[in-house]
Amino acid sequence: MSGEEEENAAELKIPDEFLKAKCLMNCEVALILEHKYEQLQQMADDPMNQMSQVFEKSLQYVKRFSRYQNPDAVRQVREYPSVIYAPYDALRTWEPLSRNSGRSDSYGSIHQDQIIDVISAIVSFALQTRGRAHDDEAIEKMLNDLSLIKKFE
Amino acid sequence: MFFHIVLERNMQLHPRHFGRDLRDKLVSKLMKDVEGTCSGRHGFIVAITGIENVGKGLIRDGTGFVTFPVKYQCVVFRPFKGEIVEAVVTMVNKMGFFAEAGPVQIFVSNHLIPDDMEFQSGDVPNYTTSDGSVKIQKESEVRLKIIGTRVDATEIFCIGTIKDDFLGVISDPGANP
Repeated sequence: MSGEEEENAAELKIPDEFLKAKCLMNCEVALILEHKYEQLQQMADDPMNQMSQVFEKSLQYVKRFSRYQNPDAVRQVREYPSVIYAPYDALRTWEPLSRNSGRSDSYGSIHQDQIIDVISAIVSFALQTRGRAHDDEAIEKMLNDLSLIKKFE
Repeated sequence: MFFHIVLERNMQLHPRHFGRDLRDKLVSKLMKDVEGTCSGRHGFIVAITGIENVGKGLIRDGTGFVTFPVKYQCVVFRPFKGEIVEAVVTMVNKMGFFAEAGPVQIFVSNHLIPDDMEFQSGDVPNYTTSDGSVKIQKESEVRLKIIGTRVDATEIFCIGTIKDDFLGVISDPGANP
């Protein structure tokens, strides 16, 4: 109990095991619990008897407060962060060209100065956007994308 | 908030269950023992989604019981202080109102309800603004912030507030759609 005084979800001060765990959206929980309910129905004659009150209340709650009903939409929303950050990941794993590397043959036609220009442009873009990954414009875009998923669910 | 976590538990099994269906019996005993329970550390264990690993059984001295360490994945509901949740109002009285968010009960005291909302008693007790535009009654959906949690033997109980920005009624069951 004494540890609970320090907890504050608003500042993300929660136990380590939850910080590392997968947080589920209500719609995802709804899919999981509904699947389990169907399994119970198939296995036993009286699924209501087997379900705990916690299960029943949770199922009712997540069905009522699910933002997305369609499993495809749920998947899109879950994968959305990886879509946003994919360009940054690509940048991180990009191998710099070097005059002595084996790949220089295929880039033989590109002038070395041009290569340097390209590299510096990419690096400055990355530096610019890294700190501002969550500025207002980016947030606005994310909100619009997510609402589009909801619209075309 | 709902989480998908891996937990571990030592399951004791009587020798009469040993045989071909040992693993199945272990899993169903685990589900019966664990699903629906609540702990202060992990919250409510809503449902077990899979078994990750069943360790080697250890025979207890003196009895024939065998203890198996079982690692399993499950969905848990753990409310945190500072968390914003949506809840359904279950009861309204002059001290405040009770709401439920999944398996957890939350109490919002009248001190933590905006000052412009007054308690109205009657057939359907409710809190209403002076102009009647916003009403909190049974079955209303509200967004609230959890400001404290208390753990009992079998459940977690929370205190909440709707006095901050963006909190309060989401939908009113009495309103026209």
